[in-house]
Amino acid sequence: MSKPFFTVYCLIIYAFLLAPIAVVVIASFNAGAFLTFPPQGLSFRWYLVFFNNEVFMRAIRTSLWIATLTMVISGIIGTMAAMFYVTHAGKLKETVRVAMLAPLLLPEVLTAISLLFFVYSVGLGTQNLVGMIVGHVLITLPFVFINVSASMESYDPAWSLAAQSLGAGRFTRFRRIMLPLIKPGVIGGCLFAFIISFDVFTISFMLKGVGMSTLPIQLFDYLRTNFTPEAAAVSTCSIVLTMAVVVISEKVLGLRIHRF
Amino acid sequence: MIVPPRKRFGPLLLIAPAAILLGVFLVLPYLNIVVMSFRMPGQGTPYGPGFTLGNYGKFFSDFFYVQQVINTLWIGFLTTFICLVLGYPVAWQLARGASTFRALGYALVLSPLLVGIVIRSYGWTILLGNNGIINRTLTGWGLIDGPLPLMYNALGIIIALVHVFLPFMILPIMSAIQGIDPSLEAAARSLGASKVTSFRRITLPLSLPGIQAGCILVFVLSLSAYVTPSLIGGLRVKTMAVTVVDALIDTFQWPFGSALALMLSVTGAIFVVIFGRLTVMKWKA
Repeated sequence: MSKPFFTVYCLIIYAFLLAPIAVVVIASFNAGAFLTFPPQGLSFRWYLVFFNNEVFMRAIRTSLWIATLTMVISGIIGTMAAMFYVTHAGKLKETVRVAMLAPLLLPEVLTAISLLFFVYSVGLGTQNLVGMIVGHVLITLPFVFINVSASMESYDPAWSLAAQSLGAGRFTRFRRIMLPLIKPGVIGGCLFAFIISFDVFTISFMLKGVGMSTLPIQLFDYLRTNFTPEAAAVSTCSIVLTMAVVVISEKVLGLRIHRF
Repeated sequence: MIVPPRKRFGPLLLIAPAAILLGVFLVLPYLNIVVMSFRMPGQGTPYGPGFTLGNYGKFFSDFFYVQQVINTLWIGFLTTFICLVLGYPVAWQLARGASTFRALGYALVLSPLLVGIVIRSYGWTILLGNNGIINRTLTGWGLIDGPLPLMYNALGIIIALVHVFLPFMILPIMSAIQGIDPSLEAAARSLGASKVTSFRRITLPLSLPGIQAGCILVFVLSLSAYVTPSLIGGLRVKTMAVTVVDALIDTFQWPFGSALALMLSVTGAIFVVIFGRLTVMKWKA
């Protein structure tokens, strides 16, 4: 393959990857009631409709609340597991890694269904947020684990030993020595957990209680029956929010998030 | 040095929360769903007392469900194959191309992953619908008379699935190619191999682990995809995952739904194992 041809080919693939996202953003500024391309004039009217739609606003609040809780719980559990994995796992290292990545490798639909049956079998039900939060923590845990363990690879256990010999206790060693050094991985993992939790659909869809919905669920329900650009305005706000989290973490905080 | 007794158990406390979480809320539920698939269907309750093989019997005796598994597998194969063909050159460019392109290309491949799957599928409904951008544009130019059937069929589902899962094909292949020592290709070229031969004999075989990982990932993800087939396929084309979820949510047939979900997973797993064996044989040859 000649070089210019090759470059053009790759550009077409990149365009293919971005097309549906770009289309949603452009459609949200459409003035008309139906989605057309090019848009019939520029307008913010669908954003106004969206901001005044209590159903969507409530869904956003629910999503932010769940994502925040998920981020904190997943961040703590994932960081602890990563500390064990890097410094104490020994022969079990590979087993721990596979187990921690399992939620990512198993089909989300199957995890969601089995979790739904399980919360009913043990009498938890779906009327409280417990099942939903547990599902979100499961799905986001691998991302915290990957990020924190990656940032710990360069951590020298001798630093902990040095602190210990100077009389620092277990918790002091963690707070004063290890945490400052692995902070980028912890923050990156937590932010990514937040984004994943905010966007995740299938788990929330199966584990939601009656009358409860997160933003992706509300959007999905809306799209089954409606085709107005309001959905595009909702989507664009969601895209801007997640992109803002990534840009802030990578450009402002200078973090490098491991997504894979 | 005196080792305090708690030191031996201390580290285990670090892994305990994760182990309990995964054990109680991942392992137990998966065991539970297997048991559930052998339970009796209930009258007005999700499941009744006693156990039966009837749920699997119902699956095999109703050609509708078998056909649907075949359709779903077929969609999975095509999606995987198209992802591989489209993704490999991009992965190669990201691994070996000019560095100016690389950072940007990497960001472009990763950024779709940050956008929720509902939104990305929605984008495809705007593009592919009967009143969508593609059909309106083509009609406007006078190229077609009526709208092309791009949505509510397997074609639309495959297009959207390829888009959603393409990054999962590109990234493993990219890291596999990055792991190949460029001097191997240079050596082949210096010994007189053409660019094509050096690619076919050196780069391609050495990137097989990446291809294998990418294919398995995309195949499994497309079999279990729910949002995309459900929004693009509508009520007309249903994949197995959509049927299972709808059966569970709308009709509360938990035992039968579990059996369906497990049959799909088992068939998928069988193909993954076969594929894994085939590629490993190819490797060694």
